[in-house]
Amino acid sequence: MAAKKKITTKTIKKVARTAMTAQDTKARMKVKPPVEKVRAPVSKKIGRPAQGRVASAAKKTAPKPAKLTAKGKATQKAPKKVKTSKAAARNPARKFVTLRILRGTIVGGKLVQKTQDFKVPYDQRTVVLGALEWIKGEVDGTLTFRRSCRASICGSCGMYINGRSRLACKTKIVDLLQGNESKNIAASGDGVIEISPQKNQPVLKDLVVDIHPFYDKVKKIVPYVQDGPEKEHHVNKDSFAQVNMVSNCIMCGGCYSDCTAMVENPDFLGPAALAKAYRFVADPREGDKTKRLQELSEKDGIWDCTRCGMCIDACPKGVAPMEAIVKLRSLAIEAGVTDNEGARHAMTFKDDIETWGILNEPFMLLKTKGIFGSIGQIGNALNLAKKGKIPNPLPFEHKVERLDEVKAIYKELQDNPLDVKTKAADSGPGAG
Amino acid sequence: MAVWFTPLMIQHDILIIGAGLSGMRAAFEGITAGLDTAVVSKIHPLRSHSCAAQGGVNAAINPKDNWRHHAYDTVKGADYVGDQDSIDMMCKEAPQAVLDLDAMGCPFSREEDGTIAQRAFGGQNFPRTAYAADRTGHAMLHTLWEQAIKFGTKVYDEYFLMKITTDNGRASGAVIMDIRTGQLHQINAKVVCVCTGGYGRVFASNTNAMTNTGDGVAHAMRAGAPAADLEFVQFHPTGLRNSGILISEGVRGEGAYLIDKHGQRFMQKYAPHKFELASRDVVSRAEATEIMNGNGVNGAIFLDVRHLGRDLILERLPQIRQLSIDFEGVDPIHDPIPVRPTCHYTMGGIRTDKWGQSIALKGLFAAGEAACVSVHGANRLGANSLLETIVFGKITGKAMVEFVTKGKGRERPASSNDDLVEVSGQISALKARPARGGVKQAAIREELVDGMQEFCGVFRDKDGLEEAMRRVQKAKDDYAKLTVDDKSDAFNTDVITALELGNLVLLAEATVKSAQERTESRGAQARTDFPKRNDKKWMVHITSHWDAKKGEVVLGRDEVRTVKNAKYAPQERVY
Repeated sequence: MAAKKKITTKTIKKVARTAMTAQDTKARMKVKPPVEKVRAPVSKKIGRPAQGRVASAAKKTAPKPAKLTAKGKATQKAPKKVKTSKAAARNPARKFVTLRILRGTIVGGKLVQKTQDFKVPYDQRTVVLGALEWIKGEVDGTLTFRRSCRASICGSCGMYINGRSRLACKTKIVDLLQGNESKNIAASGDGVIEISPQKNQPVLKDLVVDIHPFYDKVKKIVPYVQDGPEKEHHVNKDSFAQVNMVSNCIMCGGCYSDCTAMVENPDFLGPAALAKAYRFVADPREGDKTKRLQELSEKDGIWDCTRCGMCIDACPKGVAPMEAIVKLRSLAIEAGVTDNEGARHAMTFKDDIETWGILNEPFMLLKTKGIFGSIGQIGNALNLAKKGKIPNPLPFEHKVERLDEVKAIYKELQDNPLDVKTKAADSGPGAG
Repeated sequence: MAVWFTPLMIQHDILIIGAGLSGMRAAFEGITAGLDTAVVSKIHPLRSHSCAAQGGVNAAINPKDNWRHHAYDTVKGADYVGDQDSIDMMCKEAPQAVLDLDAMGCPFSREEDGTIAQRAFGGQNFPRTAYAADRTGHAMLHTLWEQAIKFGTKVYDEYFLMKITTDNGRASGAVIMDIRTGQLHQINAKVVCVCTGGYGRVFASNTNAMTNTGDGVAHAMRAGAPAADLEFVQFHPTGLRNSGILISEGVRGEGAYLIDKHGQRFMQKYAPHKFELASRDVVSRAEATEIMNGNGVNGAIFLDVRHLGRDLILERLPQIRQLSIDFEGVDPIHDPIPVRPTCHYTMGGIRTDKWGQSIALKGLFAAGEAACVSVHGANRLGANSLLETIVFGKITGKAMVEFVTKGKGRERPASSNDDLVEVSGQISALKARPARGGVKQAAIREELVDGMQEFCGVFRDKDGLEEAMRRVQKAKDDYAKLTVDDKSDAFNTDVITALELGNLVLLAEATVKSAQERTESRGAQARTDFPKRNDKKWMVHITSHWDAKKGEVVLGRDEVRTVKNAKYAPQERVY
């Protein structure tokens, strides 16, 4: 046990590194081989970010949980004591990070939320889930969150961490503090990690959201291969290339949480459901592809996406739902599913640019929504006009320079169309 | 604290506990036979740990292969203590079970000619592992979930199993808790099927999900259905040193080496023909021996893929590389990955007959890792676990349909409200226990799993197992003093994890007792004080029974079912 206590994060790292790479046999010999049992002396499991003395010392000094009273008032705040405590002084190497967690309870049918700070010991490998487990085990058992596999495959622990939805099990504390460009994580400015429940979904308790609206939308897209006239019976090696791209999805709800279109239209099917829909449209064994495209082109479907790209950033598995949505749009138009606002908007856009090299927004509105639909937008138009934001409806005012080049691009694409199914490969893992 | 009682008892024909691959496959049989089928799961079905299976599923699909070869490999892998009738049935049904899933829409990877692609796995003499990229379990689970939606299977997701109820020696349903509200419900069913997976969380270092706590097995034991083979716990040779996260056997399939701290390969000493691709128990013991001899570093040896080259690693092992970087801080392109034997799979479970029905409790079925059918015997072959889920999910499902539609099973057993009252009382008592003088669950859990890891791990001996038993006894004593912080009803995960711990403690006791009882080395059970296999005495399953009066696990015996096949006669296992 004595040896165990002396080991700090730094020495572990050093020992591991020298043992693995250095030529210096002396350094190797310093590593005490395990005496008899197969058991690592440090950081045994993910549930404990720190071991032995680190954990127990922190336990003594870590803050008492702030109790949420019935009125939802937290009674106590961030513990500054930790920094100056005797335990900390004895162990200067130990590092702490503040987790600022948005907690919530339903009181009398209403959600009451309040942030609470926890000081948590961490090392190079500590992930957010490990830190949360540490709080739950050592400090406050009432902290509530979902988790299961801890290896980023089950999708339970999706939560909003430092401004974006992420999986707690694969997001490292050090990456959040220092930033990690390869994982698309910006450094936290103040050294505080802010954790709150996923967005766009009702909160049940602390970091737990109601997942049923999300799954209800997945169910709406008829999530299974159907028999029908378009079923292909031969499947070759590359048949599932497109299916594989989206079937990485673990339904963690990260994209749904961060979707900006969802904020405007809560009935929008959302990125995950639409990516799942693409999985079936792309499957050669699916029998009803065109019918699917028709249904997906209706209200709350593929055309409601604003293509902001948030879902691509939020996805922890590199699914890139927006890419799938864009492909569905192309396939729908190719299949002749054009009698809807979204398709009309896209085609008018294309025609406008081809003809004039510039958008004609009033005409666009008329073509997309029709006469009666446009009348409904008069209020909006007047508001815009008041602020001088209505462009001149006559396109001949500004002639676009080098229109011939624009036309050349169109011609090129007309002669050599892009194959939707091979466009854009897997965009790689997104957020940490 | 308020306790709500449901005004009406909920009735179903078939009640399945657990929504992983076995549960969903069994539910498919129930619902497509037109029976009222319900599935209860403590997490959403897609979160089930079946999704973490990477490598694939074995089936003799290739015309050059033969299910008999597959069965032979399995019998040998099981170290001859698997039930041969079940193994024959599983291997024979395997191709159809895989094709069933393909027909449902599972995107299995393909060969050029459109047939299902297959890769090589350890301990087998033919590349018969079908796969869907490197996420086979995930693809299969999503497919079966899609089918549940298609046919309208009732799924109680985020409901926790509190008790399996019985009526005169027959399972009659279950008491479950709606985690979201804390409300208790009683379900009455003609047949109950336990598909809750294994209990690998009883070891400190494991590849399992935090939810793999063996709830169904523990509750079945309490209801009077014995478990068997609990001493056989598979340690996977390549779990990451610190987190225990799995590095697939497929990495060794691609040609990775195991090396010691001097950079030397060592598997030739233990498996002169197959080296790194021997069966898992053999490789794990080899690693543990090397580590004990001081050839490891900090309790780990190394998995080396550097010689495969940067391009191949990036192309075929990207996920493995990412896991190593994320969880171990090592880039396999430049450095070997520190790995160690890590608890991966529990061969034991509820003891059933060939069709998945408990040998003692009528109307209780089990399938998958929760069951001991037993197709894995003392050691499971890689990619036979996914196979077991879909074959025995199907077979057990059909057996349940028959049970419910024919004979005495048609009559509905009675459920009593007493069970609901009893469970409600347990929860109230747990919440009411004062913090003063109490013990926190994290402390109990840590001591228990550390003790199991240290004294009931890859190698076992008399003294160590006695120490393990002392730890278990202490955990049992402490558990009676466990206090929870969260006294609320809604989404009380503090209470849920406490109840899960109770199930783990029971299974730990049964595991240690069975390991003490079996005085030989066979498959995953390696006794340093009894290093030889003893076929005269131990060609038998050790069963574990919960004795409620004594408040402890008592052991029994059950025979190994054999078929007349001279090839299945025990031989020394050499890989």
